[in-house]
Amino acid sequence: MRARGLTRRELLRGALAAGVSGAALAACSRGNERPARSDDWSPGRSLPWRNWSGIESCVPAQRGVPASEQELTALLRDAPAPLRPAGTGHSFSALVPSAGTLVFLDALAGITASDAARFEAEVWTGTRLSQLGPALAALGQAMPNLPDIDYQTLGGAIATSTHGTGATLGSLASRVTELTLATPAGELLRCDARENAELFHAARTSLGALGVVTRVRLANRAAFRALEVSRFVELDALLAGLAHERDANRHFEFYAFPHADVALAIATNESAEPPRKSGADDPEAVYLLRSLFRLTRRVPGLGARLYDAFLRHQPPTQHLDASHAVLAHPRTVPFNEMEYTVPAAAGPECIRAVLAEIRARDLPVCFPIECRFVRADDVWLSMFHERDGFTISIHQYVDEDWRPYFAAIEPIFWKFGGRPHWGKLHSLDAPRLSELYPRWSDFARVRRSLDPGGRLTNAHLARILGG
Amino acid sequence: MRWRWALALLCLAGSCSCERDREPAADVQLSAAQARAYQTICASCHARPGTGAPLVGDEVAWRERRALGAETLVARTVNGWRGMPPLGTCGACSETDLRALVAYVSGSAAAERR
Repeated sequence: MRARGLTRRELLRGALAAGVSGAALAACSRGNERPARSDDWSPGRSLPWRNWSGIESCVPAQRGVPASEQELTALLRDAPAPLRPAGTGHSFSALVPSAGTLVFLDALAGITASDAARFEAEVWTGTRLSQLGPALAALGQAMPNLPDIDYQTLGGAIATSTHGTGATLGSLASRVTELTLATPAGELLRCDARENAELFHAARTSLGALGVVTRVRLANRAAFRALEVSRFVELDALLAGLAHERDANRHFEFYAFPHADVALAIATNESAEPPRKSGADDPEAVYLLRSLFRLTRRVPGLGARLYDAFLRHQPPTQHLDASHAVLAHPRTVPFNEMEYTVPAAAGPECIRAVLAEIRARDLPVCFPIECRFVRADDVWLSMFHERDGFTISIHQYVDEDWRPYFAAIEPIFWKFGGRPHWGKLHSLDAPRLSELYPRWSDFARVRRSLDPGGRLTNAHLARILGG
Repeated sequence: MRWRWALALLCLAGSCSCERDREPAADVQLSAAQARAYQTICASCHARPGTGAPLVGDEVAWRERRALGAETLVARTVNGWRGMPPLGTCGACSETDLRALVAYVSGSAAAERR
């Protein structure tokens, strides 16, 4: 996430208004370096693969960049195992690392067909979401919803049930109406809700465990403009009226701030007005937020009030533009993340419990906690399978240890029946995960039939899906 | 970090102008795959004002970075550096690709000819 609505300019103004010295703030505003690792690359060494946050890496024996589905099926059949599709590497979990073969679909990108009357498009899954928005807009189409960022490939986003926010809007996987799967046996299988229906329900969110999805047909809608309005509000008041905000806005989410009593509420709705923007979006403002947090913690009692006051001082921001330009945001502050989806009705109680635990343990964390709504779907391994979801995402700066923070909070999610995001950090294994998904055994059966030799199974998949 | 604070203070004074000429040096040759990587990956930050990344064509921003040497810039690209994710998220890129893209984005090739 990023601190939407926060800018360094406004943060500085807020800090000054709260009585925090700008000079003192500047003096402690350091720590945005990525930590050095023992396996850091230097010239002359084999080129590694690394994920976005840098905590996962590998040196594969082979990198495959197929230029056609035929090249891909040959690769899946013949290249050294384990074979893992890599997307853009934005997942925090170890879905990708392999000493065998990494498969990149960078050459299989773009829109292959479209239906203007039905607002549908068939898209190569190597397409990055950042490229897809403008390409669909040129056809008069738009995806109904997008995640907070658009750096991922379409294939990676669907494979992990990636989502945006909106109580009436499902995950990206729920918008797939047809797909083509390249299997480890070297076959190409097409499926939809009527033809090969079991494969369709299993393959949409399948973590690259069944094969590599090459193409999907997306159910889109007419292109539209969206207006995003961000404002700071009292957390208690927000939670008391959350159902209203959820139902009154096409998209609604909020960020809770550990150790503060305010939240950043973000409502996004369709608009026919011309594009406009007030209040710049600064993806690096969370560094300044951390500096303020650390500085104010040095002053017991008064510091907490100063921190709270500075957050309250932030003015609202607005952004109106094409939907793909508003719903996704630039993000450059590296972090690690855990996200669980709890039943929608339990959301407010769960986030209260998370914030209370942070205070009770006095955890020194300040990265805002993102809370979103997602509609239920019928995808077997979707976190939203047959239940509306409330997602809670906690983050830690990449130069700080995420383990103690996430370990303290994760059991709270378990109490609420939470399902972990497949692409984010969690500690559950296959036996625990199987209890959360009613169609788990059906998925396992399809997996055994398509990959009986486990050519697509790396160590992480063996842990979370079984070997 | 110093430049960021300078930028923040400039913004406070209402005099911030982040728009730059974002065209890379035209005479740097990229392969088709490298050009695709630039358009779909590098440009999403290095040609997009406001992300914190140094913009292509911003000679002031790149001059001091180029002084670190090509090997340092390539190593930072592979390992990740501040907001720059490892490999720039181009897992499909080879070392040759990354070296070409670093030269292209940073303006190294053009600078050597000056």
